[in-house]
Amino acid sequence: MKHSYKTEGTVLLVENVSVTIGNKTIIENINMEEHNTLRDGHAQGQMIAVVGRSGRGKSTLFKTITGLRKPSTGRILIPSNEINKPIEVQEGTVGFVDQKYTLFRHLTIYNQLKLAARKGGIPDGEIHGRVMDLLNKWGLEKAKDQYPCHCSGGQRQRAAIMSQLLSSGYFLVLDEPFSGLDVGNVEDVKSMLRLVNTSHELSTIIFSTHDIELAVELADKIYVLGFASPSKQVGTVVASFDLKALGLAWQPYSQSHTELAKDIKTAILGS
Amino acid sequence: MASMKKLVTPFEVLKAPHNLALVAFWLVAVIGYWYLSTTGQKHLLPSPQSVLRGLGEEYQEGLVPHIFSSLSLCGQATFWALLVSLPLAYLSTLPLFMPVIQGISKFRYLPLTGITFYLATSPLISSGRAMQVGVLVIFMSVYFVTSLLSVIADIPQEEFDHARSLKMSRWEVLWHVIVRGRIDYAIDILRQNLAIVWMMLVTVESIVMSAGGLGTIIKNADRYANHGRIFAAQLVILLIGILLDYLLSELRYSFPYVNRGSKN
Repeated sequence: MKHSYKTEGTVLLVENVSVTIGNKTIIENINMEEHNTLRDGHAQGQMIAVVGRSGRGKSTLFKTITGLRKPSTGRILIPSNEINKPIEVQEGTVGFVDQKYTLFRHLTIYNQLKLAARKGGIPDGEIHGRVMDLLNKWGLEKAKDQYPCHCSGGQRQRAAIMSQLLSSGYFLVLDEPFSGLDVGNVEDVKSMLRLVNTSHELSTIIFSTHDIELAVELADKIYVLGFASPSKQVGTVVASFDLKALGLAWQPYSQSHTELAKDIKTAILGS
Repeated sequence: MASMKKLVTPFEVLKAPHNLALVAFWLVAVIGYWYLSTTGQKHLLPSPQSVLRGLGEEYQEGLVPHIFSSLSLCGQATFWALLVSLPLAYLSTLPLFMPVIQGISKFRYLPLTGITFYLATSPLISSGRAMQVGVLVIFMSVYFVTSLLSVIADIPQEEFDHARSLKMSRWEVLWHVIVRGRIDYAIDILRQNLAIVWMMLVTVESIVMSAGGLGTIIKNADRYANHGRIFAAQLVILLIGILLDYLLSELRYSFPYVNRGSKN
């Protein structure tokens, strides 16, 4: 059954973005526009996957979307607190979690989150409560006084995502969050992403993966990054698939998803 | 037989008691060889008896104050070297200072004699002790800065990105990722550099003998070719060096976020 939905307002606008490092252009003419998805009876954010072969500029695009790298041309806009007044992304406005789930090695999980909350502008008086609330919700209360080196992979994943949520708000970019994880951890991360995705209307998760079936299962929009032509080795968006419009978003995995995954793989292999 | 085979198999890991037994075996073997090799008329090393006798004489003549003098010299040099090197290494993250600090690191190729001569003639050096400290500080600092630059260069980009993604200012990134985040590495570098300084002790203390120290003991014994006393003083230097190394290693592992045996 196709779920009904409507869209309203832009939550992410990537406009003609190019990045050149030294003399080498890594990505160019990247355009993406995402709208706030509204579903009756659901607090539903957006889940966007970026797929493509290695070396097509996914990580560069992610660093640009998170403001960690300035685009050489173009701009990236996200909504501000004021309605109809978008802002350009800067360092910290969009949360970023790398595939190693990096944390500060010298801070306990609790102190990592406290620091993130402070940087996120949460008033001092509310920080402890907010952090403890998240720790309980994500099942990390027993690990709160542990340092990252004493945490399991799953605990580190949760802590890294939580710290970004506390500091950056609704936007979260994850660079290959499923890379190198065992089956159990993959399921944990999927649950975490769904939890974040359904926590607020504006929650927007952008992730990259080489597992196309996983992208089709989780995302409601998929962008394929590749080379526009073999002679010009610069990454750009070569295809996009709107799973909402196709009636595949928020549905159990089916034969239609498998067919779509095949189409996406074809688009990847051709670029 | 199987366990004997393990001893000569590459990458074989032994049980802790076996390792201890192996250490004890080598210790006995080395001491035994030392004893046997010094029984003849001509021998390379002084006999254990003459070393023990030398140690006793040195103790009677004030070995302990000399040890404290050497430790004091080492402590002063370490203090000043840390005071100079740590800010320099951290400042290397500022493009303005990077060329200067990389240049300082290259001074490790400067010969000791040149520095000693310059310091000896410098009007700023008021005493022999100050010169000894000066030489050690220069040596320790150039190696310290070099090692710290290498530690900073090896920090994964992800750690900087993580800090920046949390809206941290560049100074906060420096504080959390490099200063606080790598303090245990700085202690480990100190441990390695202290070995260099401790090794240079004899050379530096023999420049100005009036300041005393273990180097002076060796230099005095050398005048009379008293090999037993020279060897005894060297053993004392070695054992104190090993103790300092152990203490600094323990200090590093006292940080709760440092795992033993790994650079996490």
